[in-house]
Amino acid sequence: MNWAGIFLESKMEIFAQSVVSGVLTGSLYAMIAVGLTIVFGVMRIINLAHGEMVMLGMFGAYWSYTLLGIDPFLSVVIWAPAMFAGGMLIHRFLLKDVIPKGELNTLLYTAGLSLLLANLALFFFTGDYRTLNLPYALMPARPFGIAVPIPLAIAFVMAIAITLGLYLLLSRTDVGRAIRATAQNPQSAALMGVNVLRIDMITFGLGTALAAAAGVLLVPSLYLYPTVGEILIVKCFVIVVLGGLGSVPGAIAGGILLGLVESLGAVYVSVAYKDTIGFVLFLLVLLFRPSGLFGVGRS
Amino acid sequence: MNRLLVVAGIAFLLVAPLLTSNAFFQHLMIMVLFWTLLGASWNLLGGFAGQVSFGHATFLGIGAYTTMLFYLSLQLSPWLGMLAGGVFGALFALPIGLICFRLRGPYFSLATLAVAEIARLVALNWEQLTAGPVGLLITTLPQVSIAGHAINWESKIPFCYLAAGLTLFAMGLTYAVSRSRLGAYLTAVREDIDSAEAIGIDTVRTRVIALALSAFVVGLAGSFYALYFRYIDPDAVFAISLSVEMVFIAVVGGLATTAGPIVGAIVLVTISEIFRDRFAAGHLIFYGLFMMLVIRYLPEGIWGRLRLLLRLTRG
Amino acid sequence: MSYKAKLLAVLSLSLALSSGALAQGTLKIGAPQPMTGPDAPFGDKFQKAYSMAVEEINAKGGVNGRNIEVIIEDHQAKNPLAATVAEKLITQQQVLVLTGGRASGQAVEIASVAQRLKTPYMVDHPSADIVTAKGFEWVFRNNPTGSIYPEAFNKFISEVPNALPKSAAVVYDNTVFGKTIANSAMTFLKSKNVPIVNDEAYPVNTLDFKPIMTKVKASNPDYVLLVAVSTTDAILMTRHAKEIGITPRAFVGFGGGFGVVDFAKQLGPLAENVFSSAAWSGNPNEPATKEFYDKFKAKYGFLPKEHEVEGYAAIYIIADALKRAKLTGNLDTDREAVRQSLLQTDMTTVFGKIKFANWEGPLGDKYTNQNAYSRDHSVLAQWNAKGELLNVWPKANAETAYVFPDKALVR
Repeated sequence: MNWAGIFLESKMEIFAQSVVSGVLTGSLYAMIAVGLTIVFGVMRIINLAHGEMVMLGMFGAYWSYTLLGIDPFLSVVIWAPAMFAGGMLIHRFLLKDVIPKGELNTLLYTAGLSLLLANLALFFFTGDYRTLNLPYALMPARPFGIAVPIPLAIAFVMAIAITLGLYLLLSRTDVGRAIRATAQNPQSAALMGVNVLRIDMITFGLGTALAAAAGVLLVPSLYLYPTVGEILIVKCFVIVVLGGLGSVPGAIAGGILLGLVESLGAVYVSVAYKDTIGFVLFLLVLLFRPSGLFGVGRS
Repeated sequence: MNRLLVVAGIAFLLVAPLLTSNAFFQHLMIMVLFWTLLGASWNLLGGFAGQVSFGHATFLGIGAYTTMLFYLSLQLSPWLGMLAGGVFGALFALPIGLICFRLRGPYFSLATLAVAEIARLVALNWEQLTAGPVGLLITTLPQVSIAGHAINWESKIPFCYLAAGLTLFAMGLTYAVSRSRLGAYLTAVREDIDSAEAIGIDTVRTRVIALALSAFVVGLAGSFYALYFRYIDPDAVFAISLSVEMVFIAVVGGLATTAGPIVGAIVLVTISEIFRDRFAAGHLIFYGLFMMLVIRYLPEGIWGRLRLLLRLTRG
Repeated sequence: MSYKAKLLAVLSLSLALSSGALAQGTLKIGAPQPMTGPDAPFGDKFQKAYSMAVEEINAKGGVNGRNIEVIIEDHQAKNPLAATVAEKLITQQQVLVLTGGRASGQAVEIASVAQRLKTPYMVDHPSADIVTAKGFEWVFRNNPTGSIYPEAFNKFISEVPNALPKSAAVVYDNTVFGKTIANSAMTFLKSKNVPIVNDEAYPVNTLDFKPIMTKVKASNPDYVLLVAVSTTDAILMTRHAKEIGITPRAFVGFGGGFGVVDFAKQLGPLAENVFSSAAWSGNPNEPATKEFYDKFKAKYGFLPKEHEVEGYAAIYIIADALKRAKLTGNLDTDREAVRQSLLQTDMTTVFGKIKFANWEGPLGDKYTNQNAYSRDHSVLAQWNAKGELLNVWPKANAETAYVFPDKALVR
């Protein structure tokens, strides 16, 4: 028996498994972060209620599966547009008048909104933990002996598709160009004929839709309860800073990076400190490259 | 008129704990004072200097753990322990400030959040020092006498006065700073940091001083927390929710005002109690709603708006 | 401003009083519980359990002719709030005795308050050893402490032939609960010379256990011990462990989450053969227990487990003490009378036998007023293919035979 070979092989296996797990999970984190970063890029606000948008997406997928039997991955086409509309409404009726009052006030306003949404969900849906079990997803696939959970793999593929769609939207369409222009400089954009207020509303809707879509994709792999937003939002912050506030590719890279750091950190360093590693990395990036690891963010 | 209010306020603080023998009301009073204390110290940095910190709980935790550890392992008197709590808070503020003040705006805020989380995780995992998640418990407070009378720690009255004393100190400090040159520098930093630099103000030093003062007071508050609640664990004293609540208090009351935090604390503590009583399930829904309404319609804070109205009516 | 403060204070007072519902003659029991926030589902379980017990007792004429009532206050799973509401219950609502608390951090606060304000606190569920290890004469506990939880498991591996682990991986959350149980289990394993190949503390509410499980798989453990205070962690941990493909001879779960209906519901076939070392020795073959099961299921629609039993039993224990206490109407002397009465407790509830005593725990903690039968209360149960959790060890409490080694795992 080639003990050395087996030893090396299992070490490789552990490494490969860690990397695969990290990338898959990280891609979903990334999707959540993209929504937050777009909103910041265009409107310069950090939406503390973003985690609750994800949570609402998760609940949407859960109910449409449990009550109507719709596969969650298919239900993205229902919930993303629905939450897009919802996001626009929130902007139009709630946020629009608060934003002029300053960044701090807007931030706290979204904090209040976050409390409100999480507790409304708690009240109506009760705090029971729920998971969504897909019959075809019970055991993972095992290519090359690496466990790849099926729902996570599907989510990964769909996340890529959605992100590609976003890229096309931002680069090829008029709306996308307007969004990018507003992100660069709202005053100039206005001068060029862009209806900045409308773009703000659309952007917020888009951010919300992305969050909800991420939630829908996540729910078969995670668990669901009304206050799950709290944990997700903190991870989101770390990611958008790593990637650069306002940068979409940065958020994606940041998400995958965080997933990898947590995964490898847990396996090779210490499980107890894996979150700390993320935060320390976060601080280091803030200090030495505040525009993000990839240098594309704006301050 | 202002001076009259202040004297009346102090007189009330001196007399109020004795007016009622209802321990619950004394507790409410202590909580209002405690939150005023926290709001006022956050205000020093956040309101006056415009540096929005979401991690002030770091100093609360440092103060609490310092006092607890000194008391439990060295039997240090609580008075000294409190002072130590404040001092350690201020000491930690120095490196934290030097690190975080390189950043502006939202980056600064997020950095402070990260610092608080790291502090929490360290307290949670460094068990040899902090006992980790098990936490630290005080079973008996030491015999302390003032003017020949031993303090009865079982009663809330000594805590009322202690809290009142700390709060008056914090407010006095805020007032003194607002009237001093430091205060002027802080305002300059808040309004336009680049111009402030341009006219020769050392903005880093100014901000670090503000942070150190703020951290000192929050450290004292942390020590008070440890002595009053007698039990601390990392999640209780380093929580993000504590940091956010401090910001709420300062903002709801009125940023950059001396009296704002009092109003903020009174309103928020009372509201919490009422909501919890009236709407047992889902009271946080109304709390969130309340926050949103205040920020939308009273962005300058309740006291801020009152001040405006008073000025307008006075013509 | 001072006028405003006074007005608000008076307003507060009247609202507090009106919701306190000073019903004459009822014996009041206070119970701080998490009714909102992430722990809300547990608060709900206790509320249901208390209600059922109160209804039954009052229907039979109450305690010495007087009705009892349980007043629940929400502490949102926050320590300072737990202290606040405990004080409120004691000073505002003027309860005779406290129970509840739910999580250990809150229980420590409540115990501290109860001890200082001289009100009896009969702990029903929180398991941190420290609550009854500080010499608080006003605090009593019915349920086992964290360090006692592994007791049944320890018996299993010692008594069942060939069950002693050749190696063990221990994965636990970094809360008081997780650490105490893990510590206790590992202490025992070490005393039997079992190598601990993994000792991993994870942060509560971890979203992804795959990295940890990857690490555990690499050490190829004979047994995998999982400790989780949070239900979601319990479920996710087990799922990821099985997905990564760990194949020990047994998975053993410690913690409420491993014993709730949700575990089997969410995991389906992945729950099969997982052991749950829990704090309840209820044998459903006993008529009293079966009656409780059926009644609870009929009333609320789901089978009760650890939490519900503990809450239900707590009310009965308190009622028993109230019955024997001579109450005069003076709050202070009445509370002392109840305390004395609790000290004399010697009864059997659905939860098991109860008698409070001072003794030393497995990790050396010196307990006061801890249920002397605690060590017998720990029982090992196992999930079967039908999604049922049945007791398997000790034999006296067993409902079915154990399945060991775990044949469902692919090797």
